[in-house]
Amino acid sequence: MDLKLQKGSRSTILAAIVLGIMAIFVVRLFYLQIIQHGYYVDMAKNEQVKRLTIPAKRGLIYALDGSGPVPLVMNQTVYTVFADPQTTKDDGKIVDVIQRVAGGNARSDLAGLLAKKDSRYQILATRISRVQADKIKTESLNGVGFQEESVRVYPEGSLAAQTLGFVDFSGTGRYGVESQLNDRLTGVDGLLQSVTDVSDVPLTIGNNNIDKPAINGDNVVLTIDRNVQSHVEQALADGLKRTGATRGSAIVIDPLTGHVMAMANLPTYDPAKFNEVQDAAVFNNGVVSAPYEPGSDVKTLTMATGIDRGVVSANDTYVNTDHIQVDDRIISNATLGQTGTITFQHALNWSLNTGFVTVAELLGDGRSINRSARDIMYDYFYNRFHLGQPTGIEVAGEATGTVISPDQTEGNAVRYSNMSFGQGLDVTMVQVAAAFGSLVNGGNYYKPTVVAGIVDKNGTFAPAPVAAPSNPVSKSTADQLREMTHVARSTFFSNVDKPGYYIGGKTGTSQVSKNGVYSDDETVGTYLGYGGGDVSRYVIMVQVSGDHKALQGARDALPIFTDISNWMLDYLKIQPKG
Amino acid sequence: MSYSRSQTFSSRRQQNWSRNQNTVAYVSAIKLGPVTHTVLVALMITILGLIYLTQATRATSYDYATQKIDSQIAALNTQKSDLEIENARLTALETVKNSNVASTMTVPVSTNYVQQ
Repeated sequence: MDLKLQKGSRSTILAAIVLGIMAIFVVRLFYLQIIQHGYYVDMAKNEQVKRLTIPAKRGLIYALDGSGPVPLVMNQTVYTVFADPQTTKDDGKIVDVIQRVAGGNARSDLAGLLAKKDSRYQILATRISRVQADKIKTESLNGVGFQEESVRVYPEGSLAAQTLGFVDFSGTGRYGVESQLNDRLTGVDGLLQSVTDVSDVPLTIGNNNIDKPAINGDNVVLTIDRNVQSHVEQALADGLKRTGATRGSAIVIDPLTGHVMAMANLPTYDPAKFNEVQDAAVFNNGVVSAPYEPGSDVKTLTMATGIDRGVVSANDTYVNTDHIQVDDRIISNATLGQTGTITFQHALNWSLNTGFVTVAELLGDGRSINRSARDIMYDYFYNRFHLGQPTGIEVAGEATGTVISPDQTEGNAVRYSNMSFGQGLDVTMVQVAAAFGSLVNGGNYYKPTVVAGIVDKNGTFAPAPVAAPSNPVSKSTADQLREMTHVARSTFFSNVDKPGYYIGGKTGTSQVSKNGVYSDDETVGTYLGYGGGDVSRYVIMVQVSGDHKALQGARDALPIFTDISNWMLDYLKIQPKG
Repeated sequence: MSYSRSQTFSSRRQQNWSRNQNTVAYVSAIKLGPVTHTVLVALMITILGLIYLTQATRATSYDYATQKIDSQIAALNTQKSDLEIENARLTALETVKNSNVASTMTVPVSTNYVQQ
């Protein structure tokens, strides 16, 4: 039988059509699979391969408790409960469960939120704990989901709030250590790229999988001792209550290392509720970010400069007339009556401005604060004691302050005469306290720091090395100044200190410049001192102030210093002599 | 003297084999046709496919097991963190100060120091 198709038959036409269709298929498939290959591979990859970010854990912040670290800032996983009103079934049960389990974290009017059936997302409760979330999950509520997030928690409440700062809702550190060490604390997010199933479970199939683990942020240990910090905050609060001051700051430094043991400011805030703060000024750490005219505390630095240059000593004398003329200005003492030939020790005891203007003059030709005297003072104040420049402390918002150079027109004799007793320059408390530390530890300036080290992956505290100090003055100068400030304190206030210890300090009462004019009704009271035995173990600086309040160093700041100092002697277990 | 090529050629190797091996070849009486061959090849491909599928499924099941363990680790870590936070809160200064033990403590009348 001959099956050959006849030319022009229907079968031939059908075969041609089939062949044509096949040819179209082939061409189309060639286009899709060969020419458009890359495009469709990418499309498939986008559908199948997921890039998941592995969030790095923000580093914890620890304080010291004696010598070991204790957590001050931790991370907690909390949950936001949301509902899809279009898929919820038993709204009454959902309302009941959420109200019962989430309590105060539940939104008000849950029934109203669930009744919004045109919406696909309604938040029912925020910041609930894992235990609460687990309880809700056991109820198997249809249309209810959970969103996980990490928040900062503060087991010690508002302790050292301004030193810590806080983390805002975008996860960025603001103020304090959180801001200054943000990069170290944040870490680096990891990446997981993998083929996933419909539930986003990563599968090991595929060729281009990436598993890059996250690098968690450093767990930073602060030099802040929580016991010292707590007592300083309490002493400051008591002091403010006693004096009527509305603002107060205090810092405690270890003069042998530069470690800041406490740094307190009032009023303060709770970093866990930073969003409820009305006045953003409370976020600032006044110890590092509020430059002011330090007043008589600086007389210790002027005296150290004079002694170190060999132009004056504690028992040298000058004639005090309660007034001294510098160019066209007459400078007077705040305390009058100590006239006649008196020692510089006496001038320090009574905080007589004339004595320290005289020291400034002695740095020059002995008759005026000439350029040479000003250059020497500037060298000591700025270059050696680091006044008027950031100390580099690891707290955000550190202010620079201002020490006018003799090269500037304003750096004239009148300016420097004022600077000799602490006016006419802007400095921060941390600058003054660090500089003073070098006068009570044998002449070593340690850069102040709040970072003591880190807690490594194994949970072990790894202390950071102490930076090498500079030497602004000789040991002999420092020892003389230490003795002078001890005498200055003992002269008037020896009965307030615990017996058998070596305590010294200097009062400061400075005028406040407002819009370039010194205020008549407002002064800032400060006290700067140290304590210990043969070796100074702490430097404490206290400052109290308030709008339209004339606060004094001796009357208002000194008792706070004494409170902290006497407590420190016990806390550090320093043995008394005699 | 002249040389002539022999008509038959057998290598020394062939001769050795011939010496050591059976000289009788057993040929099966069953003959496989082209259809059988095709079916067999298809079966082999199917079996290989099934083996591949089994292995791939097993790998994926490992992924699910891994994911489950990862979830458990994450949950335990969260639980550990919560406990650490609770521990920190319980040992916080404020908690200690307000504790019953602290409230019953008294200030010593006098303090003596060990002479070092």
